[in-house]
Amino acid sequence: MNKRILAAVVIVIIVAAAFVAMWQLNVFAPAPSAEARNLKIGIVAGMQTVEGQDIERAAQLAIDEINAEGGIWVEEWHTKVKIDLVLVDTVNDAAGSTAGPVTRAITDQGVDMLIGGATTGGTLNGQIPAITNRVPFIITGASLNLVTRRGSLPEGNALRIDDAEGMSYMFHYCTTISDYSTTVAHFLADSVKPTLDSTYSFDSTRKLRLAILYRDDGYGRGVRDVTSSIITSDSLPIEVVANVSYATTATTYQSQLISVKESKPDAVYIAGFTADTAEVIKEGINDVGLKSLYIAVEICEDPQFYALLGETGSNQILESKIATQWQGDSWYLPKVGTYVENYGQKFDGKIPGMLGADTYDAVYIAKNAIERAGTLNKTNVKDALETTDMPQSLLIMENEKITFSAGTNYHEILPKTFIEQLIWNSDSDELKPFVVYPDTMPGISSFKQRDFVLPENYEPGSP
Amino acid sequence: MITPGLVEALIWGVANGCVYILLATGLNLIFGVMKLVNFAHGQLLMVGAFVAYEVTTIAGLNPYASILVSMGSVALIGIVLEKFAFRKVRGTEKLNEIFISLGLIYVFQNVATLLWVEYYNIRIPSPLSGLGLSLGGVLLGYDLILAMVSVVVILVGLVLLTKKTKIGLAMRATSQKSDSAMLMGINVNRVYVFTFAVGAALAGAAGAIYGILYPFNPAIGALPTIKAFAIIILGGLGSIPGAVAGGLLYGIAEKTAGYLSNGTWEDAVAFALLIAVLVIRPTGLFGEKGE
Repeated sequence: MNKRILAAVVIVIIVAAAFVAMWQLNVFAPAPSAEARNLKIGIVAGMQTVEGQDIERAAQLAIDEINAEGGIWVEEWHTKVKIDLVLVDTVNDAAGSTAGPVTRAITDQGVDMLIGGATTGGTLNGQIPAITNRVPFIITGASLNLVTRRGSLPEGNALRIDDAEGMSYMFHYCTTISDYSTTVAHFLADSVKPTLDSTYSFDSTRKLRLAILYRDDGYGRGVRDVTSSIITSDSLPIEVVANVSYATTATTYQSQLISVKESKPDAVYIAGFTADTAEVIKEGINDVGLKSLYIAVEICEDPQFYALLGETGSNQILESKIATQWQGDSWYLPKVGTYVENYGQKFDGKIPGMLGADTYDAVYIAKNAIERAGTLNKTNVKDALETTDMPQSLLIMENEKITFSAGTNYHEILPKTFIEQLIWNSDSDELKPFVVYPDTMPGISSFKQRDFVLPENYEPGSP
Repeated sequence: MITPGLVEALIWGVANGCVYILLATGLNLIFGVMKLVNFAHGQLLMVGAFVAYEVTTIAGLNPYASILVSMGSVALIGIVLEKFAFRKVRGTEKLNEIFISLGLIYVFQNVATLLWVEYYNIRIPSPLSGLGLSLGGVLLGYDLILAMVSVVVILVGLVLLTKKTKIGLAMRATSQKSDSAMLMGINVNRVYVFTFAVGAALAGAAGAIYGILYPFNPAIGALPTIKAFAIIILGGLGSIPGAVAGGLLYGIAEKTAGYLSNGTWEDAVAFALLIAVLVIRPTGLFGEKGE
């Protein structure tokens, strides 16, 4: 009798073990659907621009990582699907050159979603086919939040879009001019002004004299207006002493810098792109003798900017959102370190830029949304994107999480930006960045690397 | 009111004008003697800038000595262009010359992009960069002074060449009437190739000086060519003094407009000046009727 019980127990155990093994091996899982196909992500990037190349490389890196893990799980097909990168080449991101490639990607190549877009002008044009065709678009470049707020523009404004449902397919995973102008204005008030006051014995009531030199386009004018507005609304001790523009086609800036010099500024805030900003700083210091403090914005967080600026950039300022050239024993966010290392290994030692980081994160945001949606259906994916709730990745977020603001027109994030001071390393003949502001960041207790110092030969504005 | 800033803008305008003078003079010389309109002249400026950059950075040559190397190299390119491209279509439809020069724009630009793709907005390194005289709040950079002196020396050399040498005499004779010059025993082919080489050398010099004062890349040739054409029309077709006056006027108008209007009106003001001069004096400042 005991032997029979024992035999029965053994059989039950064997059957149970076999069942568990079969369960583990997905023997009972439904077979993958015959409809399963690869996911097509259109990467919108101007391949004639440095930023566009960075966007494409970062997207390729993220997609290769995901595909190496088998792809994205799509519940309705009971299988993982690989991602195909569809390059939507907008050439130079000019306003008139983006809608065509985006339209072709949607209608001819059948992309499931779009990621990218480097400039506001180009994206405002390129997003229209995505809005019309209801294709989810995670915009990772345009720094004017116009790209998500076109429905709120006044009646009659040429950029206004009344199609609220179409606009609800737009998501903005990028810092805006308001984000970084806030950081710059507060850095000037909190760090630069006290340093000037103590170094030159200025009266504490003296306001910091700021000149704004900007590209004469929507982006540059936006920086000019937003900065003045922040100074006023936050009651910062800053006086804007000059607003000087330059044509987007300009290659030299001496005339404008002479004008800026006459306003006797303590600091010059440059709203430009990589090449023009580097040239402005070099011409300002070397040609015009304006030995001031120059502040570049985050689009210049690119190896080309460092190379163009060279030693002339020592002790000048760069506002940034990702320190891809972080100097320190351990990275401020381990994920940033891994990204920089993998990017370098995959692309011949290249250092990533700033816009690629947004794009890299956006590919993972898309993966997360599709896996939660369980389908590639564009409306379901859009709905899933709206409820994104992921830990912060390469960009630092106010609440350490990636979430999009609610509302059909405002799918925006809450990023944090910071200030780096560029220091010339004469041993390696390279310019290197060090964080000087702020002291801490969400989830990073010790962020600041050194105190801000005035550049050598710095000359303040009028007393 | 004259402010230090305005004076500084005027000085930069003169320096700017100096580059235009060299470019426009070369263009004018070629047009005056050969009746050839070379739209790729600005690309010779671009090549000149890169040649000067390479000999300065690789061979360690002084940037002002590199002007001579640049002139020689671009003159050689000019000889090749004249012999193997423009000479082949001389005497045929004018459109043939125009299309050859338009095609050369893309050939030069694409080859330069292939060769110097990593060199975006570079400058020829000068040991005098950032140094200069400070006079009453006005910074007069040593590079600016030397660039202007270099242009004056080159122009004096050009005047001596055209006025005091046999080949210069032949050039002037050919420019007036090529058939008669040929009957007088002048080898017109030789004059043409020499003229094209001199014009190209001037563009090479303009390129080297441009590269010392301004950032450059493979695409910089187009705008200076348009400006050089505007300047020779402003000064008078075929007139070298006209190119000098037009270049200075244009350079000063451009920079002072940039200074006074916050920058975005530079080109508009300079071209408005061109239109105004042509309305008042259709032959340009130094041009003669019938040219």
